[in-house]
Amino acid sequence: MAIIEEISELLQKGKVKNVKALVQQAVDEGYDPRVILNDGLLSGMSVVGGRFKREEIFVPDVLISARAMNVGLAILEPLLVEVGNESVGKVVLGTVKGDLHDIGKNLVAMMFKGAGFEVVDLGVDVTAETFVEKAEEVGADVIGMSALLSTTMGNMKETIELLKEKGLRGKYIVMIGGAPITQEFADEIGADYYTPDAASAAETAKKCVLEKHAS
Amino acid sequence: MTNRENFLSLLRRQGYERVPVEFVLCPHLQEVCRKELGAEDYEEYFGMPWRRVDDLKLQDHDVEKYRKYYEKKPLAEGADIDIWGVGHEKSPNSMHMTYMRHPLEHAKTLEELENYPYPDFASADGSHQAEQVRKIKERDLIALGDMQMTIWECAWYMRSMEELFCDMMMEDEKAEFLFDKVTELSMIRALSYAKAGVDVLFLGDDIGMQHTIMMSEELYCDWIKPRLKKIIDAVKAVNPDILIFYHSCGFVEPLIPHLIEAGIDVLNPIQSECMDFEEIYKKYGDQISFHGTIGTQTVMPKGTPQEVKEAVWRNLEIAGEKGGLFVAPTHMLEPEVPLENILAYAEACRAYKK
Repeated sequence: MAIIEEISELLQKGKVKNVKALVQQAVDEGYDPRVILNDGLLSGMSVVGGRFKREEIFVPDVLISARAMNVGLAILEPLLVEVGNESVGKVVLGTVKGDLHDIGKNLVAMMFKGAGFEVVDLGVDVTAETFVEKAEEVGADVIGMSALLSTTMGNMKETIELLKEKGLRGKYIVMIGGAPITQEFADEIGADYYTPDAASAAETAKKCVLEKHAS
Repeated sequence: MTNRENFLSLLRRQGYERVPVEFVLCPHLQEVCRKELGAEDYEEYFGMPWRRVDDLKLQDHDVEKYRKYYEKKPLAEGADIDIWGVGHEKSPNSMHMTYMRHPLEHAKTLEELENYPYPDFASADGSHQAEQVRKIKERDLIALGDMQMTIWECAWYMRSMEELFCDMMMEDEKAEFLFDKVTELSMIRALSYAKAGVDVLFLGDDIGMQHTIMMSEELYCDWIKPRLKKIIDAVKAVNPDILIFYHSCGFVEPLIPHLIEAGIDVLNPIQSECMDFEEIYKKYGDQISFHGTIGTQTVMPKGTPQEVKEAVWRNLEIAGEKGGLFVAPTHMLEPEVPLENILAYAEACRAYKK
């Protein structure tokens, strides 16, 4: 298992080339791709997420580790399909209508991927209709909405209202985030969760989805 | 005191007589001011203390030459390309905001960065600047050279944040080259403003997020701080009295000592949602002054006019008689800010009695 631990550690240090080489080596040595994924890549990303949340590391450190994760994933993905590996859950996420800022949303997407989710990124300027349609289409567990502007944060409510209108509100965990967002605002519009950073978002979503699937 | 004396004395923490009024309006609110107040030019209407001097004028700089950098994924129809080659895609839902596209995002080699047609500021025309400065000063106004997005943001917009951060983390020569190039070009612009005689040079790069700094102190000090200091040192060698304003959104507390070491004089905007002005003022108020502090995520859009006034007065009280606070909304005022709150801010400044 030393090689798997090493993958996790190198990923934490953002050693992209080394992670790529070692994941390939582990595959060649016959390790189960699920073990390489969960105990190597995702376990490394979980440590990175924790450090980010505690402000011991910052955005660049997360980006470089996510990049290491992605090169590893690229090797593993076809093998994971073969063995029928199941993701933790599915999330559709995007920046709300009228808002074109996506740096925060992209970081959240990386952390979700790092927590073992399948991520459907809808991009920016996403309408309430698109959020709901896509969530239904892919069978999502979580809808994640981002906004940077006080001008656009109000549009988050539209998605929640549309879910209610269609009788789908209970089906999805609705999470929101972005610079001007607060817990108070989340309560006001009836979102399930607000988290102040990307790592907490993925952690909270994982906990909720696992609880939901267990119940 | 004249407007100029009052402004400079306020920012040098040597006392002041009046509180200047300053804010930036989005196009929608400019229209509201035209309709409701008959304010054709809101800077004139509200008597703002400064006016901007135009940047160097590039010669024969056809931005169409940048289009080939978007061949892999063409720019959306109607997108603009700015002087750096950065694409700005629009959406009917997003008013004046645009989605940024990065011409060097897919560059794999140093050569690609070296061969990029950067705007040629070395042969740009700055002959208008001294005259503009003279006219502004003649009107008893402050001449402002506005060149925010000075180093880090300028490089990030061309390369993309993710690629540039990864280059920096891997100590890639591509980052070294791009930062040096941008610094060289910003230096030309900054020196031209300084030589033309501007009173204020407004620099800036976002290095804060809502609750944390964007990058570690170490990464900031390795890559950006020395380049910012180099520009400020050169500008102050031309004019030691020039006031260097510096903008970064968000929470930047741990980086303030570095910005002070780099030579900034005034920090903008001290977002009230991210940092406590009183605390920041106590720590750094004897070394630098501040511009901003009135929250555009909170009190400006959501507060009552009275709450806006109280926020203005509270912060002026913190700064005290010697000044050091050029109180203003932290960011451009967006459509959801009620006109009454803008008027309340201006009234609070005018009515303030020390």
